Amino acid sequence: MPLVELKGVSKRFGKVVASSNIDLRIEDGEYVTILGPSGCGKTTLIRMIAGILEPSEGQVLIGGRDMDGVPIEERDIGYVFQNIALFPHLNVLENVSYGPIAKDAGQEEQRTVPAQYLGLVNLLDRMKMFPSALSGGEQQKVALARALASGARILLLDEPLSALDARVRMDLRYELRRITKDLGLTVLHVTHDQEEAMTVSDRIVLMRRGRIVESNTPEMMYRAPKELFTANFIGETNLLDGVVVASGDERTLVELRDGSVMGAQPGRFEPGDAVVISVRPECVRVADDGLSAVVRSMSFMGTYIRITAEAESEDILGFDVRVPRGRDFNIGDHVHLGWSMESALVYPRPPGGIAEAVKLE
Amino acid sequence: MPSVTLRGIVKRYSDVTAADGFELTVNDREYLCLLGPTGAGKTTALRVIAGLTVPDEGTVLFDGKDVTSLEPEKRNAVLLSQTYSLFPTMTVADNVLFGPDIRKVSEGDKEQMLVSLLDLVRLTSRAESYPRELSGGMQQRCALARAIATSPDVLLLDEPLRALDARLRIDLRRELKSLARTLGLTVVHVTHDQDEALMMADRIAVMRAGRIVQVGTPEEVFNEPASPFVANFVGQSNFFTGTVVCSGPDGAMVEDHLGRRVKARPTDVPEGQKAVLAIKVGHTHILKREAASLHGRIERMLFEGRVVHVDVDVEGVGRFSSKVPLSYHGRYRVGDEVGIGWNRNKAKIFPYPEGGLQNELRVD
Repeated sequence: MPLVELKGVSKRFGKVVASSNIDLRIEDGEYVTILGPSGCGKTTLIRMIAGILEPSEGQVLIGGRDMDGVPIEERDIGYVFQNIALFPHLNVLENVSYGPIAKDAGQEEQRTVPAQYLGLVNLLDRMKMFPSALSGGEQQKVALARALASGARILLLDEPLSALDARVRMDLRYELRRITKDLGLTVLHVTHDQEEAMTVSDRIVLMRRGRIVESNTPEMMYRAPKELFTANFIGETNLLDGVVVASGDERTLVELRDGSVMGAQPGRFEPGDAVVISVRPECVRVADDGLSAVVRSMSFMGTYIRITAEAESEDILGFDVRVPRGRDFNIGDHVHLGWSMESALVYPRPPGGIAEAVKLE
Repeated sequence: MPSVTLRGIVKRYSDVTAADGFELTVNDREYLCLLGPTGAGKTTALRVIAGLTVPDEGTVLFDGKDVTSLEPEKRNAVLLSQTYSLFPTMTVADNVLFGPDIRKVSEGDKEQMLVSLLDLVRLTSRAESYPRELSGGMQQRCALARAIATSPDVLLLDEPLRALDARLRIDLRRELKSLARTLGLTVVHVTHDQDEALMMADRIAVMRAGRIVQVGTPEEVFNEPASPFVANFVGQSNFFTGTVVCSGPDGAMVEDHLGRRVKARPTDVPEGQKAVLAIKVGHTHILKREAASLHGRIERMLFEGRVVHVDVDVEGVGRFSSKVPLSYHGRYRVGDEVGIGWNRNKAKIFPYPEGGLQNELRVD
């Protein structure tokens, strides 16, 4: 039995549909991120699980029990918000003790539990300090410890890292996963950051315009996205317009706008089908023949150089080369680009066009 | 377009020194990123250039002319704040044409200016919309058009992409850079995001605790960091603490308390001195155990898309991280005993930091 289950959940605010017929099952101990662009309905979704919002239609079940009318404090849920919400007049220890005290836990528990969780987030030495004296990252760790100290089995994290610096965010996301896995908690983590989602989760649920686009492990979402939107949103990709010229069990051959024919993974296509090829920048290589293109820009990215080229097929392609090799390239250079067939995925060309299908806002 | 020079800028607020002697020159038409953690003094530097903050000491020069006491509106530098501050009751078109300089422009010229600016930021179809009807990215572009409408010579951007979604941010980096280049602006762009700075900047000024700790091209800052802090803040590094031994023209080694020796490029740090070796995570390789002088056990592997992040627990040193290509996935497992190595020319030796390594690396 899943620990959290949504059955046909919809939520409308006036004319706006924030969630549309959502079905979702989350297993006990699973770390799930709800990922999507701003306004996709991800926060609405976890607020309904928390009981802060009531669904317009459908059911939210926790531990098999229908949560209709059950208030947040009876749902076995800890909640960490995007904007760090600590009590400013209480010190770190008092903030973390709030849950056990409010819950009327025994004296012993009120004393030991907060310290235990402060230890877990490595902040025992900050116990007597007030929130204003802490850095943003430390404050968010206190908020996490406070949510954990309430003893809830389900943790809801609403963009817990987005107010922090990029570097602090990187360090803290590893901590989040480590701590929640150590405690065996079930986590629903809302984020707009695909990198964050990939590194912390067991499973990603990608949302767009109130609906679930696709749900799978981070690796499958990256390697074998079922939808074009997913391919573009999770990691970067090159999208090329073309028409199928041959389709078999081994491969699909696609003719691009300049007449060049490129290979891709097999799929259920017929010759003449209008399609889109998706190939990631790290899979595109400079070859002796292949798609001809002109180098338009180059960016040093540390361990690699990202080159952007304009192909004769009118497609713009990004590809990565190792730094020492990158010095062989100059803006304006003519290159030939290719890729292995396994690294290129094919999708039916969306009726509304590629741009509309992958639009982020 | 002018160059901008800061000389010995000091700014103190009661108990905080926000600027502790900034020295910086931004060249004509250059795109310079000020990169550093929160509280490094990035925004203070920007406000001093704009004239919105008066420094306690030091001078600000535009094209060699002292503008330190010149009012902000006479500097022809415009600052775009993190929050955009669009007027909520005005349409996109009215917001863009609001600038004080534009109010004196003839109707015909205004019209022409509006058309070209909206085209530039791709908001032509949204001219009559109100800010609340726009997405975050559109609001950002609208604010940018309004800033450019005043025909500034210097564009100052304070975390211009911060409020946007992560994925959208990646797309807008390129757009913003090419826009600035097309218009030939001198740009100072504040960010805490190292990828953003690497991707966008002609040069990066790395800041920390009110000081500029290094200025250089993205490659210089990444490959030739001036301190362990820079080595770690721009591109994440692994560190190995010990004593310098066998120092020569071909390279040097660092030996730790367990007698393990690891190699680095030549160094000025004298033999026998306590030192720390820094090697970029992206340049750290996982090897067969026998092939390396440093060993450990894989404690976790995190899928990151194009690469897999591998953390190795090295006895007596702690965590060493590496990024292996996705195609290597499956070659290693958590719990595997592995070796760690690198190309000696990628590793740099620094004198051991006075306040300790942990303190040196603090990011918040």
